[in-house]
Amino acid sequence: MRQQLAQLGNGAHALAIQILGNTDDAADAVHDAFAAVLAHPEKYDVSKGPLKPWFMRVVRNRCLDMLRRRRDTVTRVDEIQHPGGGPEQAVAQAQLGDAVRAALQSLPKDKGEIVILRDYLDLSYAEIADALNIAPGTVMSRLHRARLALKEALERNGERESKHE
Amino acid sequence: MVRENQSMNDHVGELLSGYIDGELNQQERQRVDVHCDACEQCRNERDELRRLREQVGQSRLSEYGEDKWRESMNDVTVKASRGFGWLLMIGGVLAAVGVGVFEFVTDPGIETYAKVIAGAVYGGLAILFISVLRQRLIERKTDKYKDVEI
Repeated sequence: MRQQLAQLGNGAHALAIQILGNTDDAADAVHDAFAAVLAHPEKYDVSKGPLKPWFMRVVRNRCLDMLRRRRDTVTRVDEIQHPGGGPEQAVAQAQLGDAVRAALQSLPKDKGEIVILRDYLDLSYAEIADALNIAPGTVMSRLHRARLALKEALERNGERESKHE
Repeated sequence: MVRENQSMNDHVGELLSGYIDGELNQQERQRVDVHCDACEQCRNERDELRRLREQVGQSRLSEYGEDKWRESMNDVTVKASRGFGWLLMIGGVLAAVGVGVFEFVTDPGIETYAKVIAGAVYGGLAILFISVLRQRLIERKTDKYKDVEI
């Protein structure tokens, strides 16, 4: 289970950043989720589905708890550490990541998280419904609206950048 | 012709997302296929959504690696065992202090005035200690800058 959880860490972190808007708080949330899961591993019922959507739900609940507690002090931090120098591909990927990250951060929390769950974490609609605790029938429409909003945000940010240049 | 106009005017909207995600049934998929064959707007939107999905999937939204999360999990175990250790130690110290105080108070060989003086000194020290500890704990909880590294 530890191995599986370690593999889910980055995806969970991305989801937590989207909800909390802060890299360090997001890492704390993932850490707390690990602690909760490792303290009571029996709470995960294999027969109810894969670990990934279940763990994302744990992380999301933890983030919402943190938001409730820290509502006054949460600040948005756009800066995230980048990996040290590498090939051109890594640079291009980092730039792509920057653009997507900035656009996601500009979206409302619920829109950003559903895009991450589907397009970054590759969850099915049923798993997304489970992770977000929403009706499965509403996933497609919510996701579609979120994607259109993300597309608009990317275009808006792109236009803004081209104006600056 | 009428059918073509109908499919042109009736855009498939959110079904495009279900289509690129492979979440539609056969009938819905066919509907999207037929519509997109005739409607350039929806065809373009479908392609854009597909590109967008790839873009999000390929971007690095978290820059940490698996090692970081493995360390994080180890930290959880270490913290839990450390907490248990602290609990045992504090429990042992409290029990020892309790036994010591009981022995001291009930010892007939020590004069009452000596007991009162010693009680006042140690009691005062204990109150001071608890008061400082309480203040520190409150400050730690509310200090915004406690995690700032210089």
